[in-house]
Amino acid sequence: MLKTHYLIIGGGIAGTTAAETIRQNDKNNEIAIVSDEPYRLYSRIILSKANFFLGKIPLDSVWLKTPEWYKNNRIDLILGKKAVECDPGKKCIKLDDGSEIQFEKLLLAMGGHARKWPVDGANKKGVFYLRTLDDAKGAMTAIKKAKKAVCVGGGFTSFEMCDVLKLAGIEITVIVREPYFWSPALDEPSGKMVEEAFKKSGVRLIQNATVKKVIGDKTVTGVKLENGDEISCDMIIVGIGVSTDSDWLNSAGISVSRGIVANEYMETNIKDIWTAGDCAKFNDLLLDEYILLGNWANAQNHGKIAGLNMSGKKQAFQMVSSFSSHAFGVSVAFTGDARSENREVIKRGSPQSNSYGRIIIDDHDEMVGATFINRTQELMPTAKLIEKGIKVVSIRKQLADSNYNLNQLLK
Amino acid sequence: MAVKKFKVDRDLCIGASSCVVAAPSVYELDQENKAVIKQKNNKKSSDSTDVKDLEDSNIDEKTLMEAAQSCPVKAIIVYDENGKQIYP
Repeated sequence: MLKTHYLIIGGGIAGTTAAETIRQNDKNNEIAIVSDEPYRLYSRIILSKANFFLGKIPLDSVWLKTPEWYKNNRIDLILGKKAVECDPGKKCIKLDDGSEIQFEKLLLAMGGHARKWPVDGANKKGVFYLRTLDDAKGAMTAIKKAKKAVCVGGGFTSFEMCDVLKLAGIEITVIVREPYFWSPALDEPSGKMVEEAFKKSGVRLIQNATVKKVIGDKTVTGVKLENGDEISCDMIIVGIGVSTDSDWLNSAGISVSRGIVANEYMETNIKDIWTAGDCAKFNDLLLDEYILLGNWANAQNHGKIAGLNMSGKKQAFQMVSSFSSHAFGVSVAFTGDARSENREVIKRGSPQSNSYGRIIIDDHDEMVGATFINRTQELMPTAKLIEKGIKVVSIRKQLADSNYNLNQLLK
Repeated sequence: MAVKKFKVDRDLCIGASSCVVAAPSVYELDQENKAVIKQKNNKKSSDSTDVKDLEDSNIDEKTLMEAAQSCPVKAIIVYDENGKQIYP
């Protein structure tokens, strides 16, 4: 049986940053990373960027670490294997090939996987997800021959992929179940601004629609909607969210509630087991809630904090993470916890002026998140204001004044 | 392989802030949500910066390289003392 002091499940940015941080603080003990993908650390972010997807930059640009890096840092990288069982008592992880690894300290950083599209015919050739490098490779080949594409889902994947598909000269139809694009993460006016950009670029959008079945023999030739309409296409890109496969942790007694529950030190309820990244539902001290976030910087910083704490330090996670995207001339940015249901929202700018932001306030009168359409310049000051935890009552007037420069509040 | 200079390609930068996480004393995001390098005398720029001109004079080479390697769009370009690009 393989024995390692530090065992990390997941070879993405969270797991790899944790390994890097541990090695900085512990030069001696063994570190092993188990990844269910056959690859070392690569950039998931770049997969949906046009220059990568359309082959304008080499495929090798995807790698973020060299094989030598693992060797030089004495990190044992075990690829193509999935953890299937965890025994915290014996401090042992079982892999899908039947082998077992014994650990002293364990980090669960498996990330999320693309949510499966539960539709008749979804396993036909020509249906793609865009979560892993293998997903992207398949779609990159298909895009070369495709003339018509359907994107399913109203979020990040569809937003960026429509831009890429458009550049490749492909006719696109986007199908969303919700009444508007990017619902409910954006409010309707924000979503409509994105929809307007689609329309101007000739992307067809169908709202309130569900695909009943995928048409085609072995290969996709179209989709049939619940209302009977048929749309022909030769490829489908599905981006309907991400979920964490945590069922295998139930028997271990590890607390899971959509994500693996952790305190602000990224520790789970079980001693010597930590979690980080997209699979971690952590105690966010700045937002004052347990939250599951899926973005690069959040995962990276989780990995850093977990790595520090696993190697004997005591540091809490304190960062307001943000992400932004740009397509069809529209920039969309999110920071913090931007869920606005039952929360006060202060609006900045307006959809009419093509520059619109929403600052989300919780019931403790503190800013917790924001969304911005074509107002990315307000992302950084907003994130800093959330970090500071200033009561909104003292700055409400300034926040509500669209022309007020939010940077002034940081002085 | 000594890090001498580095810069942020603003056309590539998407403001993912991985460099800020890896080396908070060296990077921050500016008004356009692009990474800038914190230089001496409170100067901030994405342009090529010599390590000796950094505000944080104690930063080590390893951290600088790891910050560059954490960028998911490879927007940080690193050069050695001969002006040769060493990353990416």
